[in-house]
Amino acid sequence: MIDQLIEGFGMALRLDTFMMMAFGLFGGMLVGALPGFTTLMAMAILLPISFFLDPIVGIPFLLGIYKGGIFGGSIPAILISMPGTGAAVATSRDGYKLTQQGKSRKALDMALFSSVLGDTASDIFTILMIFPIAFLVMQFGPPELFAVLLLSLVIIAATSGSNPLKSLVMMLLGLWLSFIGTDPLGGVERFTFGLFELKSGIPLLPMLIGVFAIPEIAGVVMRNEKARKLAAMMGERLTFAEFRRCFRTICRSTVIGTSIGVVPGLGQVVAAMMGYSAAKNASDHPETFGEGELEGVAAAEAANNAVNGPTMVPLLTLGIPGDNVTAILLGAFVAQGLRPGPQLFEEQGATVFAILIAMVFANMMFIVIGYLSIPFFSRLVTIKVSILIPVVIMFAFAGAFVFRSDSIDLLMLVVFGIVGIVARMAKFDVMPMVMGFILGPPMEYAFGQTVAMTNGDPTTFFLTERWGALGILLAIPVVGILLWRRMRTVQSG
Amino acid sequence: MSRLTLRPTPEIAVLTALLALSLLGLVFMNALVAQPKLLFGRSLSALAPSLFPTIIFVALAALCTLLLVLLNRQGGHDSAPETGVGDWRRGVVFFGIMTLYALTMQPFGFLISSAISTTLLSWQMGNRSVIQTALLAVGGPILLYLAATRLLAVSLPELSVIEFAYARLLGG
Repeated sequence: MIDQLIEGFGMALRLDTFMMMAFGLFGGMLVGALPGFTTLMAMAILLPISFFLDPIVGIPFLLGIYKGGIFGGSIPAILISMPGTGAAVATSRDGYKLTQQGKSRKALDMALFSSVLGDTASDIFTILMIFPIAFLVMQFGPPELFAVLLLSLVIIAATSGSNPLKSLVMMLLGLWLSFIGTDPLGGVERFTFGLFELKSGIPLLPMLIGVFAIPEIAGVVMRNEKARKLAAMMGERLTFAEFRRCFRTICRSTVIGTSIGVVPGLGQVVAAMMGYSAAKNASDHPETFGEGELEGVAAAEAANNAVNGPTMVPLLTLGIPGDNVTAILLGAFVAQGLRPGPQLFEEQGATVFAILIAMVFANMMFIVIGYLSIPFFSRLVTIKVSILIPVVIMFAFAGAFVFRSDSIDLLMLVVFGIVGIVARMAKFDVMPMVMGFILGPPMEYAFGQTVAMTNGDPTTFFLTERWGALGILLAIPVVGILLWRRMRTVQSG
Repeated sequence: MSRLTLRPTPEIAVLTALLALSLLGLVFMNALVAQPKLLFGRSLSALAPSLFPTIIFVALAALCTLLLVLLNRQGGHDSAPETGVGDWRRGVVFFGIMTLYALTMQPFGFLISSAISTTLLSWQMGNRSVIQTALLAVGGPILLYLAATRLLAVSLPELSVIEFAYARLLGG
């Protein structure tokens, strides 16, 4: 492990990696700062660029967009009370109040420093923990893998959206979509309707861009949004004394965010809300929260950014994307020939470490880029939508086309865009659908292998040989119900 | 006996469509999934290719029915706020332009199809400046085309006459 860590450190020290990470951070902040445009959309649209770069350049580039975008989302949240991302909702409570008090610069500085601190600490935790977890996962056979994949799907369905039953419906729809093409076990055609284009299944990229990016753009078009008036960025910079006062809150939120990040499906919104609630509960003056309290900004931003690193743990060790952003990252890994899972650590351990170490370097660059460019990004909220929308659509179409050079992918992009819009109107979350689509084939494959291993006697097999897998399977309904209850408490809070 | 109180909302429409889809899938399963390959009279796989899809369709049908029953009992719905006629019109035009873009990219090439689509989209979003629109429609696609073909070394569709000549010109 130490050898791979050192080798990975050396591999990450590349000029082109740093340049693309800087470009990604800048691009992420740029998109995140535009009201109505999200990190997810930026990642989905710019994902194809990473396919044509070296893995140690392309994946850090996407991670740069991710990190930059999460912080970028806090800029409109603080300046115009319009969160650029869901994760910035908690930030806007106190951030916008600070802007109204003429302290927007303090709020933005606090958002930046707490984001970077939370993110860096969680990245280091990820680097330290990922190998022991991967070692544990290496002991898994098909029954355990099937049980864990099923558990992940239940967790994701229980925690995403407002209604777990609706999330389950979307997950099943995603599983069905994953069956289109060729059966992973017997190699026979399923649900292709005789169309040659469907024999290799539905491509992931047009689906990701279609369901995540197109509905966001369509929402802006349908609401006929124009550029907003900018509340002037005012006030003094953050002082060290103010930062020190919030340090305990940042540490607490980092622990909360890191813990949440490891669990698939919970994500930044839950982390930000929990971090904010914990800070308010622990405070000597809880009445100031929501009225322009710097600690509120620090708590939410540290917690939502601390999720970034640990979401890589289930992704890299089991191939389970914890949220929609890591689903896009999974697409990047697969396209690069790096199939996440325990074997990845045996075959490409140094590359994995190089990517994780690049995340820490990205944070160091982020603090410089962010600090210098806050005034510039603050002005972005005024850009005309009539210029941005055509450019973004052009990127989306070019991106969907270049991966397979097949024009059918462009029609798939439009179809999935419509699916995303319909789902949004009916308040169905598309994330469980994408997770079902991604995890469907490995789950079916693991299930098939498990059935073959049982020799027709699953009871004896599970009770005598695979009690670990049986335990996970039995825990699934309990975990699902507990998480659903917890989510409802957080959402109502 | 409780009366049917469901109103036609996007949520109900989606659930009904998925219920119909899953029931049709179950009925026509044999036609939609090919027969497993046999080797010396035995299947190559331990699992029938239709087993997993059958489980999923049954679960999907059951869940959709359950949700429809629950919604009927509650007498309410969980849909997004009402969308106005103007919003719908803008949405339809937007998806119309995107479909046009998807259909014209291969036959017209990337540059021409992008120029048409960006012009239409910019116009739809209220941009009435001819100079701005022209700059966007010409400059945007050319810059992206150059970035994709030169920096990333990937190909974008080219119109055989005009764009091929243009590509050759760029290629030297």
